[in-house]
Amino acid sequence: MSALTSLDFWAFVGVIAGIYTIFALGLQVQFGFTGLMNFGHVAFMAISAYTMAILVVKVGLPLGLAALAAVVAGILFGLVVGLPSLRLRADYFAITTIAFAEIVRHVALNWDALTGGSQGTIALAGPLQAASYNTAWVDFQTRVGGWLSPILGEDPNKDLVMLFIVWAAALVLLVLVQYVIKSPWGRVLKAVREDEDAAAALGKNVFSYKLQSLALGAGLGAVAGLFYAFQFSFFSPNDFEPLTTFFAWTIVILGGTARNWAVPVGAVIFGIIFAGTRFFEFAPFTLFDSPERAYLRLVIIGLILIALMAFRPQGLLGKREDLVFE
Amino acid sequence: MSSATALLEVRDVAKRFGGLRAVDGASLDVARGSITALIGPNGAGKTTLFNLVAGHYRPERGTVRFDGRSIGGRPPHAVAGAGLVRTFQHARALTRLTVLENMLLAAPAQPGERFWRLFVTPGAVRRRERTIEARASELLRLVRLEPLAHDYAGSLSGGQRKLLEFARGLMREPEMIMLDEPMAGVNPTLGLELLELMRSLRASRGLTFLMIEHDLEVVMGVSDEVHVMNQGRVIASGPPETIRRDPQVIDAYLGTHGGAPPEPVEGPV
Repeated sequence: MSALTSLDFWAFVGVIAGIYTIFALGLQVQFGFTGLMNFGHVAFMAISAYTMAILVVKVGLPLGLAALAAVVAGILFGLVVGLPSLRLRADYFAITTIAFAEIVRHVALNWDALTGGSQGTIALAGPLQAASYNTAWVDFQTRVGGWLSPILGEDPNKDLVMLFIVWAAALVLLVLVQYVIKSPWGRVLKAVREDEDAAAALGKNVFSYKLQSLALGAGLGAVAGLFYAFQFSFFSPNDFEPLTTFFAWTIVILGGTARNWAVPVGAVIFGIIFAGTRFFEFAPFTLFDSPERAYLRLVIIGLILIALMAFRPQGLLGKREDLVFE
Repeated sequence: MSSATALLEVRDVAKRFGGLRAVDGASLDVARGSITALIGPNGAGKTTLFNLVAGHYRPERGTVRFDGRSIGGRPPHAVAGAGLVRTFQHARALTRLTVLENMLLAAPAQPGERFWRLFVTPGAVRRRERTIEARASELLRLVRLEPLAHDYAGSLSGGQRKLLEFARGLMREPEMIMLDEPMAGVNPTLGLELLELMRSLRASRGLTFLMIEHDLEVVMGVSDEVHVMNQGRVIASGPPETIRRDPQVIDAYLGTHGGAPPEPVEGPV
């Protein structure tokens, strides 16, 4: 029970929720607003995290530049995925995206010389020397911690500082997405979601808008990938299994499809379950030992989704009408 | 049949679905500024011909020219961009957009449909939005949908959706509009008003209409020219009074029920 009352724990939950807010926001743009069934969203996260780490460790680029290049790489990869597959019907597109994401993961797993292989980024600089891509980030974090010391006190907890940074970024991106979705551009995306033929008959280049939506979502996924890499000092291909994509789907469905501000709500609930169930050290959870409890969270997420689909299929903040109209 | 004033020229176009020759060498002209009707029994290929002209299907052969330019095989958004807009037989309201958003979507030249313009010229985007909002309200008033402007289009009845689609097509400011059964499900009084509206738009703006319609009274009353399709071909063309007396037409359409198969379901869904 002690863990649940500690500030550190909740800061960690908040960081996870913030990263997943940005990640799922990308999917909200693609699926919620454009109707694209992207089941390979994790690939954008992976491409970006690896691009950043490799550029810093192997090329020696400054972190800021590497991070920028990583987001660009994520967007470019979105275009690479979209160009051959967006003309396919929705279900075939969905399958293609899973395949692309799995290709990325398997390349990362097997191209040891580039990615460090299954050992992950710790092996990036070669055997016997632990590589670190985030020293510049830790410095930056310390500096931000200094600025925040009037609020957080001297020498604040690392997660607490990260919490501020991630949610500042998430807020900026949420406002940005809100702006473009409410614009005429966003109106075309929604028209594409509703009826491609009708949108085309009104002069909209459906393919181009799908591609733009996919690219914007990819960019958001890439930003999330950066924060993911910064939060955990090392990562490996295991971090980018298809399950991560479905976490984003869970958040979007939990919060409400096609609702911008539903994403952070879904992400916070997800974050609590994701990070929280590991620390449920009271009955009835004590029936299970600690590693078993770690898996319990997946069961709980599943049960919540089932209950939601049965009793509130539009999600917590979704509109009922969205399900009714055909 | 060909004339210097033809806005749309369709020559010998064909489209097969498996063994079915849905459109089998159809040709027709639509004169600029005319109200032209396309009639024929169910399964004659009228809607398929619309889909071929509007770019939803690629013709296997033949040519389609609009305003002197070839549009055959061009994608739908390019055809719409060239100034030729169509409506659908089963009205395609964008259900989870409001009625007003449906209208605004169709407006041409909104710079805000380009992503970068949202950040570079937000003022121009807002100004255009105000202009087209005014125009949308005006058109919605004409089809009696203005009180519903802020409702979801999905809450409209079938007839109201037809009207919305008509108004939405006009919002695009086309040179020509192809209407697939515009009166179906619209109450008779409003239907008559719609015809009046077509006439006045032709007079005021030189708008050209091509419509598929089953109500022959309407067709004969409003059209300048009528094309009759049967089994994938245009079997007769001419002014209403000539068509009414054409024995071939009477035989295929007006007289007997014919043995034609039911109309195929429209378009790729």
